[in-house]
Amino acid sequence: MKISESDETRFDLAIVGGGPAGLVAAAEAASHGLSVALIDERVTFGGQIFKQVGVGFSIVNEFALSAEQQRGANLIRSIENPLIFKLTSTTVLAIEDSAILVVESGHAASRIEFKRLLIAPGAYDRPVAFPGWTLPGVITAGGAQTLVKTQRVSPGERILFAGSGPLALAFPAQMKSYGANVVLTLESGRRPRATDLPALLGAIPGNIHLLKDAAKYRWELIKHRVPMRYQRMIIGVGGESKVEYAVHAKVDRNWHPIAGTEERIEVDTVCVGYGFFPSTELFRLAGCSLTYKENLGGFCVDVDAWGQTSVENIFAAGDGAGVEGVYVATLQAKLAAIKIAEELGKVSSSSAVDLASESREGIRRKRKFQQFLFRMYSVGVGIYEICDAETTICRCESIKKEKIDRAIDTTSDVSVVKALTRAGMGLCQGRNCQRQIASLISQRHGVDIADVPLATPRFPVKPVSLGSIADETVKEEKYFIEA
Amino acid sequence: MPHEVDVVVIGGGLLGSALSYYLSIQGVEVLLLERGELNREASGTNAGSFHFQIALHQLTANSSEAEEARLFGEVKLQLDAARLWAELEKELSADLGVHTTGGLMVAETKEELQVLRDKQRIEEMAGLETHVLTGSEMLDFAPYLSNSLSGIAYCPQEGHANPLIVGPIYAARAYENGAQVRTHCPVESIEIMGTSVPHRFAVRTPSGIIRCRRIVDAAGAWTSEVSSMVGLRLPMGLEGLHVNVTEPHEHFLNPMVQHIGKRLTLKQTSNDTFIIGGGWPARRENYPTRYSNYWDSAAGNIAIAVRVLPILKEVKLVRTWAGIWAYTKDFAPIVGESAIIPGFHVAMAPTGFTLGPMVAKLLAESMTSRSPNRLIPAAYSTDRGM
Repeated sequence: MKISESDETRFDLAIVGGGPAGLVAAAEAASHGLSVALIDERVTFGGQIFKQVGVGFSIVNEFALSAEQQRGANLIRSIENPLIFKLTSTTVLAIEDSAILVVESGHAASRIEFKRLLIAPGAYDRPVAFPGWTLPGVITAGGAQTLVKTQRVSPGERILFAGSGPLALAFPAQMKSYGANVVLTLESGRRPRATDLPALLGAIPGNIHLLKDAAKYRWELIKHRVPMRYQRMIIGVGGESKVEYAVHAKVDRNWHPIAGTEERIEVDTVCVGYGFFPSTELFRLAGCSLTYKENLGGFCVDVDAWGQTSVENIFAAGDGAGVEGVYVATLQAKLAAIKIAEELGKVSSSSAVDLASESREGIRRKRKFQQFLFRMYSVGVGIYEICDAETTICRCESIKKEKIDRAIDTTSDVSVVKALTRAGMGLCQGRNCQRQIASLISQRHGVDIADVPLATPRFPVKPVSLGSIADETVKEEKYFIEA
Repeated sequence: MPHEVDVVVIGGGLLGSALSYYLSIQGVEVLLLERGELNREASGTNAGSFHFQIALHQLTANSSEAEEARLFGEVKLQLDAARLWAELEKELSADLGVHTTGGLMVAETKEELQVLRDKQRIEEMAGLETHVLTGSEMLDFAPYLSNSLSGIAYCPQEGHANPLIVGPIYAARAYENGAQVRTHCPVESIEIMGTSVPHRFAVRTPSGIIRCRRIVDAAGAWTSEVSSMVGLRLPMGLEGLHVNVTEPHEHFLNPMVQHIGKRLTLKQTSNDTFIIGGGWPARRENYPTRYSNYWDSAAGNIAIAVRVLPILKEVKLVRTWAGIWAYTKDFAPIVGESAIIPGFHVAMAPTGFTLGPMVAKLLAESMTSRSPNRLIPAAYSTDRGM
């Protein structure tokens, strides 16, 4: 069923994003009797982490799937409920009052009305600009993961992984398990020390599985003999028309490269994984308030204990509300769905509190563990300072740092930089360059990056063909002025 | 910040920046005050089109001799603007993205075609070259247009410039000629002393009080707000304006395209993107929040665009934005010194991008002339709303 041909365009709950959070929320809400529209722009549900194999592939042996894909498949089965209207290949373009505008690829845009909206858009790879980062062969961790998960294709022959955080452990190990040749892993943070142990132990109750994951990933790396080097960061790549080598250096605690420690390695692929940015476009378009939290990925939507945003009928869950990983995401989603069911009269207040207690406890424990991770893996400001004058900052419009620097000499406003240079006007709409530009402003004008406001949010959230949004039924207002 | 200056120009948009330039090259001491950043409002959020032929927004429902006389006067003004734009890159020694691409005004119905013919007559009288084309002649000239159109008017002089840089370049040249420029400096109030005091205006800002002999209110959409500080009422209004931008597409469209009966302006820029607008509304917000967009404005505006240029259906919309459009109720600019408050000047132009530089130049000439009143037509009077 396509939404553009459906008579039913009003739902108790519309959910944007069919990743772990969206799936859990849909199942929970429908279990309380709410009608749900679950919307995802990809061809299958599961999101980035539970990404399913690509269209055209068929699964002959379910046990050969990764644990993540199996968990995803189970979650996807849990939304087999007639109350859930499933919309894949469908992109949300705009939010207006109590409706979202969506377009299913190849069809006309339509309006879906909701009583409550849960935005669970997930996160995207933190773009890191360094000399050569736009050369073919540089790929984000998420991009590499999509290749191996959905297409079973390795991005290259000799892969360097540069990154930080749990990701720096998990991705190379995962790549290895798919048979990809990762020759070196760089972690910008320091090697865990024995003194970290007390904090780690304090965080353990209820988090054993997280530690197991970490140990497993490290074991995978050792098993496959991938050298892992701590406190080193990629500072550039080079090559004729594609990546031929990468340069990395030792960094201080703020991730500033230390002169004289540079090393060069011959690779054809550089996989970059320095964490994620929450997708905030829809929250900003809806007018939700945001706060800057570097450890959660930057600007994050403000939510209460149930996931309610500053806009009355809009909720948030998952990495899009601050990158905390899949465990927290699913628990947040459950809480939001319970609260929405309560607000719509399907669950009493007291049973909502009961239903929520387990999830709340789970989130509390996971956050304790994450506090520990954050201390070990917080992003150093050096990450913003590795490009030179010639480095492309806005890759959509091919705008180099020197041009942006000249604009920043005259203004501290991201929107003015955009107007003067075109940086951020292209297809990605600033997702790749805005933070880098904000950090350049922050360095040049001595303001905190948290105080550099983002450019004005505008629809469409993703590019869409003119043919699918043209609407002949819109009445033109009277335009002839009384003389 | 100076304590005393000859002229304070309020508003760092295209008009205020241009005026500061034209005054400063005449040796006039100028201080340009802008409450935010230069060129950030209507001056930098319009589509940069030159509207020289008569367009939909100038038409009224009734046709009369008085109407024709008004339109004739407006075309004359637009011709003056065309001459100024043609020389402006040389004048400012800068690439302003000025392209004389010609402009098409399309008609879909028989009635609209008649409007094209009627306006062509007025334009010819005023000295503006336009041609009405129909049928195969039309499609030979512009093969990308839908063959269901009833006709087009073509004006070879129309085109566009880059609205993001014209204002800032004017401001930079003004600065180079000695004008002082202050951004993030809002005017809070204006006090007026007796006419015997040479610097009779006291302009209060958070950075201090500036005494000046003359003030020019060039606050664009907020012109009437500033004028109300001295008790003047201006006959103007304000609308939010929706604009769409597409991804780049192989270049095929040279002229700007407008519609004589529907809200549409459309052009392919030198970056190969299409900018589609034409007067669809945007949601009003309080300054400094930017106006926000209505979905229906995009959907309705784009419906007309793809009807006129069917090839656009496959092109992707990348962004929208909302600008502001200030207009006068009688279509004429507001230019000149107030007779009620000598020393207080106003400079405001409807379709401000096309006319702004021209209006600024006109006012600068009058402010540096011995007989200022002769230069500015009575219809532009600053006091006509009183």
